[in-house]
Amino acid sequence: MNAIDTAIRAAASSIALKGVTKSYDAAHQVIPPMDAEFRAGEFTVVLGPSGCGKSTLLQMIAGLERVSGGAIVIGGREVQNLEPKHRGCAMVFQNYALYPHMSVFDNVAYSLKVAGMPKPERIERVEAVARMLGLSELLARRPSQLSGGQRQRVAIGRAIVREPGVLLFDEPLSNLDAQLRHDMRLELADLHRRIGATTAFVTHDQVEAMTLADRILILNKGRIEQFDTPKAIYHRPASVFVAKFIGSPPMNVLPVTGDGSVLRLADGQVVVEAPLNGNFVLGIRPEDIVFGTGGPLKARLRYREDLGSHSVLAADLAGEVVRVATPFGVDIAEATDLSLSFPQARLHLFDAATGRALPGAIGAQ
Amino acid sequence: MSAASQALFANRWLPVLLVTPLALLIVVFFYVPIIQAFYWSFFLERPFGGGSIFVGWANFARVLADPQFWQAGRRTLLFMVVGSSLAVLIPLILAVAADRAIALSQPARNVLVWPKGVAGASIGVVFAFIFNPFVGILAPLNHWFPGIWNPGIDGTDAFITLIAAHVWGGIPFNFVILLAGLQSIPRTMHQAAAMDGAGPWRRIFDVQLPLIMPQIFLTLVLEFTESVTSAFALVDTMTQGGPGGATMLLVYKIYTDGFAGYDLSGAATQTAILMVFVILLTSAQFAFLGRRISYER
Amino acid sequence: MVENAHSLNIAASLVLLLGITYILGPLYLTFATASQSYEYLLRSGLAWIPGDQLFNNIARIFTETRIPLQMLNSLLVALSQAVATCALSFLAAYAIVGFRARWAGVVFALILATIMLPLDIRVITTYQVASNVLAPVNWLLDATGLNGVIGEVFGAPLHLEWSVLNTHFGFIAPLVAHGTGTFLFCQFFRTLPADLFKAARMDGAGPVRFMFDILLPLARTPFAALFVLTFLSGWTQYLWPLVASSTPDMQTAVVGLARLSPDTDGAVPDFPLIMAGALIVSIIPLAMIALLQRYLVRGLVLSEK
Repeated sequence: MNAIDTAIRAAASSIALKGVTKSYDAAHQVIPPMDAEFRAGEFTVVLGPSGCGKSTLLQMIAGLERVSGGAIVIGGREVQNLEPKHRGCAMVFQNYALYPHMSVFDNVAYSLKVAGMPKPERIERVEAVARMLGLSELLARRPSQLSGGQRQRVAIGRAIVREPGVLLFDEPLSNLDAQLRHDMRLELADLHRRIGATTAFVTHDQVEAMTLADRILILNKGRIEQFDTPKAIYHRPASVFVAKFIGSPPMNVLPVTGDGSVLRLADGQVVVEAPLNGNFVLGIRPEDIVFGTGGPLKARLRYREDLGSHSVLAADLAGEVVRVATPFGVDIAEATDLSLSFPQARLHLFDAATGRALPGAIGAQ
Repeated sequence: MSAASQALFANRWLPVLLVTPLALLIVVFFYVPIIQAFYWSFFLERPFGGGSIFVGWANFARVLADPQFWQAGRRTLLFMVVGSSLAVLIPLILAVAADRAIALSQPARNVLVWPKGVAGASIGVVFAFIFNPFVGILAPLNHWFPGIWNPGIDGTDAFITLIAAHVWGGIPFNFVILLAGLQSIPRTMHQAAAMDGAGPWRRIFDVQLPLIMPQIFLTLVLEFTESVTSAFALVDTMTQGGPGGATMLLVYKIYTDGFAGYDLSGAATQTAILMVFVILLTSAQFAFLGRRISYER
Repeated sequence: MVENAHSLNIAASLVLLLGITYILGPLYLTFATASQSYEYLLRSGLAWIPGDQLFNNIARIFTETRIPLQMLNSLLVALSQAVATCALSFLAAYAIVGFRARWAGVVFALILATIMLPLDIRVITTYQVASNVLAPVNWLLDATGLNGVIGEVFGAPLHLEWSVLNTHFGFIAPLVAHGTGTFLFCQFFRTLPADLFKAARMDGAGPVRFMFDILLPLARTPFAALFVLTFLSGWTQYLWPLVASSTPDMQTAVVGLARLSPDTDGAVPDFPLIMAGALIVSIIPLAMIALLQRYLVRGLVLSEK
């Protein structure tokens, strides 16, 4: 632990969004009024498909986009009308945005120089950050002479050298190849454990979200679908959208109808007993489906994918495709009839009209 | 395309055939005249036939001993330094301004390329009129302070007029190149600098200008050549080298020596000297400046 | 961005306003003066407001000067120069980029060298070459001793002569001998994916077919850009048409315009007439810029590096 670590841990501030909205024109609201709190020192991942408004949200926190309404409070201070440099945020960009005409040292030191810090102090700070990120040997180089992973580290170094209260990441891993992305993910997790900065991390990759986040904020068309721990989001999805977005392969969702005693699939097969009336959406994860034990549901196998560690079967059930994860090596011929059972404790039920989860109705919720 | 040379066609004679028409024109109208300029600088050529005699370095000795040549050389250098600097600096300031999202940006981008359609000679004719001491824009000044402005008599006034016309005609190219450079800077570069605490004024000097150094360098190199070689139309229509040789640039002197004075050997010798100067200048710029600012994005 | 850029935006607006004034001012004064009479000019000098003599002055340009005929010359020269430059540059660039020829790099450099030494600088000897394009052949015949043989066989040594001075071809050819177009097309071809060449070969297209079926349609934008650029440059040329033409009827409009102002010491020239001429001469290129600005800007940017 060195001085930078402690300083950043001490500076970590919370971010509160209070009715924040964004619209580019009167007719179209990119982000309807939003309330959320990113706790101090936590690693919060903002997750959503492209165009859901997650980058806009990050840019509004940073001060690169103006809010159309509401307030942003960082560390107890309303900042929505302040310039970026007065908000105590630092940012790592998707393409790193390193200054190509400056050395690594100058890139990292630039914000300190702008802030008017004396040179000896500047050198000390940059060198401390460089040691922490393994950049000490690279300080004299230009960004064009660095590998992708090294550029990434310089971008992070540039962000943390100011000891910011909030660290913002805008899809920083999306330009890296698979192996490097994996390595950088571990490095980021390790870095966060050490410096404990309040972190907002935007991504569309659920694996990054699940592995890095203390809490995940899932956005859909500018609205918060769910804001909870990775565990809770996986096991208790708050909506059909979340259920389908998280997990690989994602949760199976099937339309069901309740007649007051049982829930039936579209073709009339009974899934579960429940005293419910009306239309619902039933969800079950592929790995929760029990298969081959003479279960009550009849399905027909369409194809299988062997992934080495396990296999995924895709089967037709009541006109829908249902995916079933099975241990590798279960031998099934193509196009056979399958017997499936859905354990009641593993079922998720959602309102058919709103898509919201109905906790406590049956099973897992 | 070196890595992709597998992709190229392997025909032997077809490319020769394709390049021949242009190559032939370039050999006849570019390389032959250049060789002839050097060749004749060692011969005393009589105009319109009559043969020539080898005179060694005598032509060079004659030209270099001529004070008028040196005056024209100094004037050319001055025009090059002052004219090119302004012809890059002014479009640079305009480009930085037009790069901002303001109302005037779009009209400016449109209007600032118009001079490209006005011939140097037309610019000369118009500016000669506008700066005419008796009926021009500064005529009222002369009314109150007689004789303060007269490009026909005062060499400095004539030179200023020449520069103003030269910069006017040079704006479109340099403006377009510099603006394109500014607009190719990624948006995140501005955002990163803003996050680092640099305000919009500071970003001009710390981010924008360093990042368009290649474009600034390019416009400067081209402008140097341009100002040495292409000022002919302006001089011919505005000052004819006067007053007292104040605007007698080398290109104009070569023309008058050759076509009015029938001193073909002298003109060829000066052409050779001027060409060597331009080649050295361009090479030097690339050697010293080009290396220092070449970096990948 | 949430930042206070007011001071910069105000400064930028002022700068642009000055820039626009600098460009439009002379054009406006040209127009205003062209619409006044000579008497007005003598009385009040330069015109700040347009008068009612514009059509009168333009009519005088058409009846009293050769500018209308000279504009036809300009049009012919600029069009031919643009077409020839586009065609020859395209072919040369394809030869350099599209084939595995070892000499390509050298030829490219030799063509590019033309950008460094423009015509204005070597006008004297270019004039001499144009007065007899075949002079190098004569020189070769002499140098190789072939002329001695010819002299013995035919009684006199061979001396070929072909002057292109005072011809439209002579106006155009030295200006087409320039590398910008080749450079522009080479840059464009290099942006095309190498797989395009591979795919064409897999499809069995030969180099000529590939040129007509693939490259030519793809190169529409650089063609348009180069055409606009070359046309404007051809129209605005001054020194070469000036020396290469020996009769007023062969001169281009720009040269004719410059000849309108007589070298009168003392007497004020007929500026309204001259300004009307400047307007007329600039109207075609200015209209071209207004209509095809997109291509002009593209061409300027493409010819950059």
